[in-house]
Amino acid sequence: MDELTSVYIQESREQLAEMEAGLLRLEQNPDDHDNINGIFRAAHTIKGGAGVVECSFIVTFTHLVENLLDSLRNGDIAVSAPLATLLLECCDHMGSLVDVLAAQLPEPADDAMARGNALTVRLKDILHTDKGQKTAANGATASGASLTVHDEVGEVESSGGGVVNTDSWHISVRFGRDVLRGGMDPLSFIRYLGSLGEIIGIETIADAIPAAAEMDPESCYLGFEIRLQTKASKADIENVFNFVSDECELRILPPHSNVADYIRLIKELPEDSMRLGEMLVRSGALTQTEVDQGLLTQHVSAATAQVSDQPLPPLGEILVENKVVHKELVEAAIAKQTQVGEKKAHDAQLVRVHADKLDQLIDLVGELVIAGASANLLAQKSKNGDLAEATSVLSRLVESIRDSALQLRMVQIGDTFTRFNRVVRDVSKDLGKEIELVISGAETELDKTVVEKIGDPLMHLVRNSLDHGIEPVAVRLERGKPACGRVSLNAFHDSGIIVIQVSDDGGGLNRERIRAKAIERELIQPGDTLTDKEMINLIFEPGFSTVEKVSNLSGRGVGMDVVRRNIQSLRGTVEVTSSEGQGSTFTIRLPLTLAIIDGFLVGIEKASYVIPLDSVVECIEHKNLTGDRNFLNLRGEALPFVRLREMFETEGEVPARESIVVVQFAGHRAGIVVDQLMGEFQTVIKPLGRMFANLRGIGGSTILGSGEVALILDVAALVKIVTRKEEERLLPNKNATSFSSLASTSSALQSGR
Amino acid sequence: MSTIMLVDDSATILLSISSILTKAGYTVEKAANAEEALKKFNAGVKINLLITDLNMPGMNGIELIKEVRKLSPYKFVPILFLTTESQQSRKLEAKAAGASGWIVKPATADELLNTIKLVIR
Repeated sequence: MDELTSVYIQESREQLAEMEAGLLRLEQNPDDHDNINGIFRAAHTIKGGAGVVECSFIVTFTHLVENLLDSLRNGDIAVSAPLATLLLECCDHMGSLVDVLAAQLPEPADDAMARGNALTVRLKDILHTDKGQKTAANGATASGASLTVHDEVGEVESSGGGVVNTDSWHISVRFGRDVLRGGMDPLSFIRYLGSLGEIIGIETIADAIPAAAEMDPESCYLGFEIRLQTKASKADIENVFNFVSDECELRILPPHSNVADYIRLIKELPEDSMRLGEMLVRSGALTQTEVDQGLLTQHVSAATAQVSDQPLPPLGEILVENKVVHKELVEAAIAKQTQVGEKKAHDAQLVRVHADKLDQLIDLVGELVIAGASANLLAQKSKNGDLAEATSVLSRLVESIRDSALQLRMVQIGDTFTRFNRVVRDVSKDLGKEIELVISGAETELDKTVVEKIGDPLMHLVRNSLDHGIEPVAVRLERGKPACGRVSLNAFHDSGIIVIQVSDDGGGLNRERIRAKAIERELIQPGDTLTDKEMINLIFEPGFSTVEKVSNLSGRGVGMDVVRRNIQSLRGTVEVTSSEGQGSTFTIRLPLTLAIIDGFLVGIEKASYVIPLDSVVECIEHKNLTGDRNFLNLRGEALPFVRLREMFETEGEVPARESIVVVQFAGHRAGIVVDQLMGEFQTVIKPLGRMFANLRGIGGSTILGSGEVALILDVAALVKIVTRKEEERLLPNKNATSFSSLASTSSALQSGR
Repeated sequence: MSTIMLVDDSATILLSISSILTKAGYTVEKAANAEEALKKFNAGVKINLLITDLNMPGMNGIELIKEVRKLSPYKFVPILFLTTESQQSRKLEAKAAGASGWIVKPATADELLNTIKLVIR
């Protein structure tokens, strides 16, 4: 595919997204002119581009859509729900047409064709009914926009004079005062005429130039009489002056015109007739005799016909006329401007870069970070002060480069969120519920890869809320809630991670049904005691579904467990909170980026581990805390901790002084006991191989400056293991090992002990 | 050879027109919106012709033309705007704002180059 087409495809997709967003706003604000303009502009850009890449099926269809939008813009048709639905369908169809172009197929498949034809009929129907009302109004404006070019008419032929024996055109032009101010050079017209044929004669008419004191050097006072020999048609010649047709006096006489036509021309021109006659003679259009005879005949016939011999309008008068025109133009411009109103905040300047190039850059920056760390390490070992200083400057720069490079991959989640407007609209109509979508935190940025991959899980959660969360209108009213349900999407940053919440004000989760279902599916045993939180989070277990009837919305064989798995593959977590009768909130926590993190390096014996710095709260000294207590008193609060030495079965003597790194995740704190603290460290995450995919407690690996490998701890999993283990120990009667996926984690780790 | 500033929010149009112009030997300055173009004008970019789209988000082409005409180095520079047949009223409006002429989209390379030849050497 050539570059132009791929640019076009990308651009069209962006425009379609904007168009869709605009159409969704249209129903709420039918009078928002800016919005309608925006929608029109999107369609217009898509059509224009399609013309450039010569994709006729997009042009044809989009043209109709554009026409309809134009009528809408002009207020010829009113916004209505069916119209918005039709336009949304058209928008979808245009999307599929762009897909066809992207797939490099010559034309859409039959079903798409049929869909397009059906839409075409509907579009034409609306346009057709509209047309009847419109044509009357249009007729008036069309005739208003006439040109000042005079046609050669036969009526003067009777007034005598023979045919002028010349094979060249005669062009008589008087430029308007504003020609120069409009950026046009009169000379350029003459030069261009010269390219149509040969200019045989030219006379400059400078009569209109006023006295020097009154002359405005920026105004144009010139006129020309030109004889042009060309094969071009009259229309071609007129076209040359097309741009100034409104403000200049143009008369064109074809070759072999009657003398009378010339005379008429002379009469009509503002300058003195005799002088013009001379000019024509000088330019070679006429002979002196022809002029004399002609003027005489004209005069006589005029007198005999008793036509009131009006003095020819002086140039000034024509100018006044011009000015009148201009005044109208200015008024039109002002009227249009007030319509345009406030500017939309869309003018961020963008550079398109291929995602591959970015990935490559990030990879290189990752290597740079590692190499930088290595250089830093060597410099410190060398005890050379200057070298250490130089490398520290270098590593600071590398850090900035890393941050900027990562920033390049950051995109706002807003676009992903806005997509759901459509989903909510369509689904709520299908379900016969009234639901509004509230979006906040759309400007929150996160890694492009994460944004791409979070779409599906989010879609599932939103549909779940629409389908199962929000109650039917009757039920809502009964419960004293507003008829219109509310689903909200929210995103925000929280200590180095991104939190995305999907909440609804629906019925909430029914604990008893979850419990019953979990027992039925053998996820828990009837005697198990579970906390409320554990209970409701059972919905993420494989094979769990509380709804008996599988609807086509959220029951496509994809359960909540898939949502959780997708999110976990992004190193994220998902959990749900819910209060019955008031709604549920699904909270997704995701790392900001998948590539590079700030780590905190710790050591046990000779092995190094990295704890993501974002999750580190503090470090405390751990003095001879023996015994089997796995929690300590940290400023009055119990802090459960885990000994990495035990967890990873590291052999060797426990040093006299250990340290505890206090980490936090999702509101829980836990301590990680290590031998040494080795400080902050930038690190590039290298994923673990497939074999280790199910390993909990370890999130990845990295290469240290020294070339050694360090494992990156998965703090989320660790915190859960630690808190769970303490709970198990302290509440031994609670059988919690049979249901949670964490159970398998902890048992796996325990079995290794 | 002449330098032409091209302003259009459509990347497709920018790319297609600029490639035609470059092939014809013109130097092309591109801007994706009016604000970017104005920034270049204020920085004193030397151009022989400005070609702008009318319908752009943010500042539209007509406002751009008015602003450019206020800048003394560009008072007499030819300005062409991109338009479609249907926009007669916009044509008049743009002319009033100080445009020299227009190019009807979609234009063939010949139409485009001929129109440009009409306004600059």
